[in-house]
Amino acid sequence: MGRKKTYIEDIDRGIYDIRNEFTYKYKADKGLTPEIIKDISREKNEPKWMTDFRLKSLEIYNSMPIPTWGPDLSDLNMDEIVTYIRPDTEMKHSWDDVPEEIKKTFQLLGLPQAERESLAGVGAQYDSEVVYHNIRKELVDQGVVYMDMETALIEYEDIVREYFMTLVPPTAHKFAALHGAVWSGGSFVYVPEGVDVDIPLQSYFRLNAPGAGQFEHTLIIVEKGSRLHFIEGCSAPKYKVNNLHAGCVELFVKENATLRYSTIENWSKNMYNLNTKRAVVDKNGTIEWISGSFGSKVSMLYPMSILRGEGARSEFTGITFASKGQHLDTGTKVVHAAPYTTSTVNSKSISKDGGYAFYRGLLKVAPNAYGCKSTVSCESLMLDNESKSDTLPIIELNNDDIDIGHEAKIGRISDEAIFYLMSRGISEEEAKAMIVRGFVEPITKELPLEYAVELNNLINIELEGTIG
Amino acid sequence: MITWKRIKLENFTFPKIYDYKKEFIRLDGEVPVGLRLDKIYDTIDRTKINWLNSNEIYGLGKEFLSFVNEFYNSGISLYLNSNIKLNNPIVVEFNMDKENPTVIDKNIIIAEPNSEATILFHYCTDEEVEAFHNGFTEIHAKENSSLTIIKIQRMNDLSQNFDTNIAYVKGEGKVNWITVELGSQISGSNYTTFLDEVASESKLSSIYLGDGNRKMDLSYSMIHKGPRSISNIESRGALMDNSRKVFRGNLDFRRGSRLAKGSEEEYVLLLDPSVKSDSIPALLCEEDDVQGEHAASAGQINESQLFYLMSRGLREREAKKLIIEGAFRPVIDRIPIKELKEIIDLEVERRLINE
Repeated sequence: MGRKKTYIEDIDRGIYDIRNEFTYKYKADKGLTPEIIKDISREKNEPKWMTDFRLKSLEIYNSMPIPTWGPDLSDLNMDEIVTYIRPDTEMKHSWDDVPEEIKKTFQLLGLPQAERESLAGVGAQYDSEVVYHNIRKELVDQGVVYMDMETALIEYEDIVREYFMTLVPPTAHKFAALHGAVWSGGSFVYVPEGVDVDIPLQSYFRLNAPGAGQFEHTLIIVEKGSRLHFIEGCSAPKYKVNNLHAGCVELFVKENATLRYSTIENWSKNMYNLNTKRAVVDKNGTIEWISGSFGSKVSMLYPMSILRGEGARSEFTGITFASKGQHLDTGTKVVHAAPYTTSTVNSKSISKDGGYAFYRGLLKVAPNAYGCKSTVSCESLMLDNESKSDTLPIIELNNDDIDIGHEAKIGRISDEAIFYLMSRGISEEEAKAMIVRGFVEPITKELPLEYAVELNNLINIELEGTIG
Repeated sequence: MITWKRIKLENFTFPKIYDYKKEFIRLDGEVPVGLRLDKIYDTIDRTKINWLNSNEIYGLGKEFLSFVNEFYNSGISLYLNSNIKLNNPIVVEFNMDKENPTVIDKNIIIAEPNSEATILFHYCTDEEVEAFHNGFTEIHAKENSSLTIIKIQRMNDLSQNFDTNIAYVKGEGKVNWITVELGSQISGSNYTTFLDEVASESKLSSIYLGDGNRKMDLSYSMIHKGPRSISNIESRGALMDNSRKVFRGNLDFRRGSRLAKGSEEEYVLLLDPSVKSDSIPALLCEEDDVQGEHAASAGQINESQLFYLMSRGLREREAKKLIIEGAFRPVIDRIPIKELKEIIDLEVERRLINE
């Protein structure tokens, strides 16, 4: 007696899959050699310390092994990846100056419109370089800096040098070393003391070239008592060859400051997304991560919060949707390194059509971090039995004055819940749709509107038979 | 050389193994009809299960299992005929001393359909001796059989304890595990249950106490293969002094385990700032139509409970002892031998008040 199942189609990738003709001004050779690194650095007119940093990172990269845990990376051949592609344009501050084809891509992605309506600043990266960057004048007047990393390296060299890759050192893992060697593009944000940036900034990373890598670096410093909401969006059209994304995000949240970092990742399914994100939070500061992982072939993504000041707080809200051919290994790491720090982790995952969703988390409490509180909650929903879903939250406690709670659940939608709703006069299909929407609701309400709508659309498709 | 990172077991090598010359099967009166109980080396009929060639990695690892297979010096082989139900528990006791400081036991228990039995293993050291235990217990619970396996470990603080337990449960069979970990310097124990067939069931209740410099690596796995199989893991522990523990609980729903249910709960009381407590609860799932959940919590003793008891005139340590004993009580009460229950109560009390 087979129960009927609901088949939910893939996210309609439509606009994401539009690919432009591959044109460029400068393209590095495939693979990695000190010469390629020097070329990239020269092309960018970088100070010598950065060139040296890149070369040192390359050495570390060559000396480190590929991680042996998690998804299989054997299909990823670094010798086939082009690490640096300069698009055929300079950086612009007005959309009118951006070349037509690139502008059209971003228009389809809705970026210029969102900028007019709901954003305080926008950065757009195309392949390896930022092609557009703009910020509202009011914010500039208040001393807020939002620019591409290359410009920041020249204009704010001291700040960049002080912070750059100190939180994620090239020695962290092999792909952090790779990032250190070939990083290009990304955004730099500096919010001075006491400034409340009440509308979000958004950077959008688009990888158009086939067989290429994108290695953008995002560095955000939020000074004492300031607030910022930063949105990161990523997408790429699908190619038959593997693409690689090994970006790096470093967030410095100072005393009493609050930073919300939202990511919507919708890479195509030929992408290896091996991204590293870390935040360090000082006294009474707050970091909020909103993380949506929908795309890519393989993801290894574990945003890390280091709560190093007393009373610091972190909140992680994440959703992972693994579909056919996807292995999404995601999660979060929280290190309580100071007393009275608190953290919340709320993760949901859905897997379908042979997709593999893996929650991998770490919660660590240092010996001196007394009075800490933490709750970790992971829920997974499987929509068929070709798929896989695993949960592995590691908890390491090193003192006794703590209050830790962890919960995880896996399963399908309960018949009782459906029965209850139906007894209230709601049709079976509608009841099921309501339950799935309810499952992801805590996440969708945190997402920027357009993504929340997209996720809801996806759930509403073809709700027939039992979900699960 | 073996290294376990989490409990800082570094470059471990096996000690010299001596014969275990004492009687370890305690059986009062006649051997019941339908039971064949032998010492393992008396058994000609070695089981045919070739577990060492299995691709599934389980137990404490190949080194420990191969070592048992090569060097076992004790253990039982127990065969229970169909439809036989034993009323009294079978007790296997290893009391290590200077003459018999090492126990490498290999136990095979086969319960035929519809049989029922309780088997209790007791590992202890009554003398101050550096004892060593590395054991492997393999259980086959056939259709509709019901086995309760109790393992009590109260070796002294100079000793080392390693124990692997694996059960294969057939249709509607049931294996209940009760494990009590109170002693030894280093203790690694692993309980893996394969719920092979339809409606097989397993429940594991564990209590542990960490004091002094004890290091414990406790791992419990329930592997659901059969449809409608049911599992439950419940672990309660208390850590004090410089003790360190790792809890690993795995609920693994393999493809085909439709409508299976598994749950797992871990609760640990932390009594001193210098303890270390790691928990790694994993939920692995290849089947959509299952229910699995785990919960873990850790913290100090509830202050209002403590305050209430102290307002009744109890000293803090006594009050704490009472609360911990209260948490352990449901598991200790399931031990079917009165004298042993009393011994455990005393041991818990001694370790908690030992100052």
